[in-house]
Amino acid sequence: MTILTGKTGTRGGLRPLLRKIWEHRADYAYVLPAIAVMLIVIAYPIYYTVELSFFNTPPGLQLRDKIFVGVDNYTAILSSEIFWKVTSNTLIWTLASTFIAFVLGFACALALHRDFVGRGVLRAILIIPWVISAVAASYIWKWIYHSDFGIIGAVLVQFGLADRPPNFIDSVSTVLPSLIVVNIWREFPFAMIMMMAGLQTVPDQLLRAAKVDGANAWQRFWHVTFPHLRNVSTVTILLLAVANFNSFIIPWIMTGGGPSNASHIWITHIYELAFGRQRWGVASAYSVLLFLILMMFGYFYVRALSGNERKDGSA
Amino acid sequence: MAHVVLKDLVKTYGSFKAVNEVSLTVNDGEFVALVGPSGCGKTTTLNLVAGLIPITSGDIVIGDRVVNDLDPKDRDIAMVFQNYALYPQKSVYKNLAFPLQMRKLPKDEIERKVKEAARVLDMTELLERKPRELSGGQQQRVALGRALVRDPAVFLMDEPLSNLDAKLRVQMRSEIKRFHQDLKATIIYVTHDQLEAVTMADRMAVMNGGYLQQYDSPAQVFAHPVNMFVASFIGSPAMSLVPLEASTTNGNIVLTGAERWSLELSPRNARKVARAATRKVVLGARHSTIKLHKSAVPGSVPAKAYTVEPTGDITFVQAFVSGAIVNVSVPPAIAVAPDEQIWLEFDQERMHLFDGETEMALEAD
Amino acid sequence: MSTTAETAARGQPRRRMRVDGWRWGGRIFLVFMVLYTALPMIWMLLTSIKSGFAAMQFPPQWWPDQPTLASYQKLLDPQNSVGQDFLRFFWNSLFVSTATTMLSVIVAVPAAYAFSRFTFPGRNFLFFAVLLRNMFPAVIFLVPLFILMRAIGLVNTHGSLILTYLTFGLPLAIWLLKGFYDNIPVQLEQAARIDGATRFQAFILIVMPLSAPGIIATAIYSFIGAWNEYIYAYTFLSKNEQLTLPVGIQRFFSENTTDFPGLMAASFIMSVPVVVLFLVLQRYFVRALTEGAVKH
Repeated sequence: MTILTGKTGTRGGLRPLLRKIWEHRADYAYVLPAIAVMLIVIAYPIYYTVELSFFNTPPGLQLRDKIFVGVDNYTAILSSEIFWKVTSNTLIWTLASTFIAFVLGFACALALHRDFVGRGVLRAILIIPWVISAVAASYIWKWIYHSDFGIIGAVLVQFGLADRPPNFIDSVSTVLPSLIVVNIWREFPFAMIMMMAGLQTVPDQLLRAAKVDGANAWQRFWHVTFPHLRNVSTVTILLLAVANFNSFIIPWIMTGGGPSNASHIWITHIYELAFGRQRWGVASAYSVLLFLILMMFGYFYVRALSGNERKDGSA
Repeated sequence: MAHVVLKDLVKTYGSFKAVNEVSLTVNDGEFVALVGPSGCGKTTTLNLVAGLIPITSGDIVIGDRVVNDLDPKDRDIAMVFQNYALYPQKSVYKNLAFPLQMRKLPKDEIERKVKEAARVLDMTELLERKPRELSGGQQQRVALGRALVRDPAVFLMDEPLSNLDAKLRVQMRSEIKRFHQDLKATIIYVTHDQLEAVTMADRMAVMNGGYLQQYDSPAQVFAHPVNMFVASFIGSPAMSLVPLEASTTNGNIVLTGAERWSLELSPRNARKVARAATRKVVLGARHSTIKLHKSAVPGSVPAKAYTVEPTGDITFVQAFVSGAIVNVSVPPAIAVAPDEQIWLEFDQERMHLFDGETEMALEAD
Repeated sequence: MSTTAETAARGQPRRRMRVDGWRWGGRIFLVFMVLYTALPMIWMLLTSIKSGFAAMQFPPQWWPDQPTLASYQKLLDPQNSVGQDFLRFFWNSLFVSTATTMLSVIVAVPAAYAFSRFTFPGRNFLFFAVLLRNMFPAVIFLVPLFILMRAIGLVNTHGSLILTYLTFGLPLAIWLLKGFYDNIPVQLEQAARIDGATRFQAFILIVMPLSAPGIIATAIYSFIGAWNEYIYAYTFLSKNEQLTLPVGIQRFFSENTTDFPGLMAASFIMSVPVVVLFLVLQRYFVRALTEGAVKH
């Protein structure tokens, strides 16, 4: 039915389309509240961000006094040294967090797939980090990493692996990996839940057929389970990547981007430019660039999701 | 109870016509089957009558009211669905009570009617169960009960038996038929299974491609299919259809096959062919109207046995005649080997002739 | 028959050994992951029952010498100023999260239903537009939203937060619920409408109860999202009496940087509601993901 209407929609021209919209006017009432909220909180801000990125706005955000500066804000960003530093931090942060969180989460899902005593308890424990607030997580790990009284440092000293507690988040070389460990701690459960849900959809018949065909455990995973989960995996990885690319709380609370920008990523940097130094124009220009990058992600995201849609339609 | 009239009913989706000017009348108390292959428009037609989808044009009359724009709830109909559509969160009792609650009947009356329906359908002990705790047959019975309890003007049934296993289907078939006889109910019954239609319905409406092909009693449809589609759709195994060439030799009209044999026609059949506008004629014959011979006899045509399927009391032989497969039934005593040369004799009284171009049945007068 | 039994008997031991190898690997891995997950939380709890002095020792007291609930008493005591602030943050968070959750459900349910059942023009476009919201970080919207909230007078109100939080929960809520509605046979509604229900009654009486797991799941998601949100609350609210927990705790402990037991106790209290909520209702969440999001 959807296929048919879709077909007529594309070949109809404007007038039939308008008539169709009119015929379906009651249907729109259902989605109107959602769309209205989205418009206010998304479409309007996007427009505004683009506009602000071409102006210099006074620190107090007096909009009447803004001055048009063309693309100055953009050139300022691209020529600044910190831009490249922040970009490489963001890439390392996003790729490492996404990849490791996905692998750990997927592995947990597989290990928890078979029923055994205590499975429910284990699953619950593993999910907790995802549920608690990132602010709480940041403080917990800040305390664990503490340079004088942190437990990891103390353990290392206790076992003679270090002379004195190492500086995890006060040192330029270790801060980013240390924060990534925290981020993964909070995120792998999400991958685990998604993949657990996905695993439940793998048809038993296929696995049994593969067994009959003589496939061993690894071959069954590689030839049956994994291909079946391709769609879920894509969506999960994309969601993780986007969430990581957009993370803010962990670096902001644990280090504020320091020491000497070693843990600044795009979002924390934009936030500091805007609300720390009141450089609204540059911050907005950054946001627009970020927005363009995210649109790229978005393209793949929609493609992955609509892949799902097509399957639903044909099934 | 009431009669139902469909007049020039049309349903289009964009440029696709799902139902095409269908007109038919269902008399008060009549059991009518809408039958056809999947996608023929039969379920769409039923949904139009139910009011679940809006009609594009035409009229639907139930009782004495035109119901074109009425909500389903105001049409005084009940419907039984293929997947039963029992409310999974409600007990059997609540499923049966739901239509009555919606009509704001007093509580004691609801209880009385539900108990009565449960008694009639012999499921009093199931009332507190949830649908998922029931077998397929029991679910089907509850669905029937939910329709029954309302005492509607018309029952609509959308393939109600196709989710049941073969044995249960035969049993439920007779139960529904019984139900119709006891209640004198008006029933419109959609099925893709021609056997259900033939065995249960007073009249059957055969549909294909959105068009109504033939609307008549099962016996008439079986004996006098109006076109090749109906001929091949009704009856099992299907009627064999052999495309042949008509010609005149010595003043007699004969049909010629690819193997150069010719079959002389009876005067009545010859008249039919003479009236046709084309020389392409399709011969149709049901398996029981064909005789199998081991040697050529007058009036028989040569054929080559292809497969032999013994079923116990009867053996089916598929044979090639002029490039087409013909199904013949023979007593099990007659042994036929694959690839054996045989001769087939068609019963001229019960043979069907179709126009090879329009696919319509040829008439003698 | 006998041959298959024989091959099965011969195949059995070898196969079991191989499966066992995988199973042991899985167990060791799980132990490692549980340690990674749980040790930080255990350390949080142990620290929270130490005195400030006991926490600041090297080497640390692995197990507190004198466990004390002083930090919890201080935070939850309505008599002193710390407790008053903390409890106010707590109620603020609860109010904002609850309001967000209720509004999310009210807005998401009809939208998801429409996306699942109706075929109005622009349906796919709108659906993906809604989903795209998930792509964008709060920071992108922060400046313009701040200006917008200032213009409509919502800065320093909980209304500004509720309005913005609505939009995080909505995309996933709509996506999950749509999957749920896709799975509910349309015949159930048709049956209800034939049985005498209006379209709306059919939805409320038949469809809503069936999609309850999905609604619960999306409600949990909205609640947790709102409860844990930090950036908007940090930017939109400046008055102390309006702060939500994440921002309140941060403000509070940036003034008392060495009170780690207090900080850990606050983190623990802040985590309790969402963790309990999630653990109680997690089966709905996993089910909703299975049925709504990843089914094929």
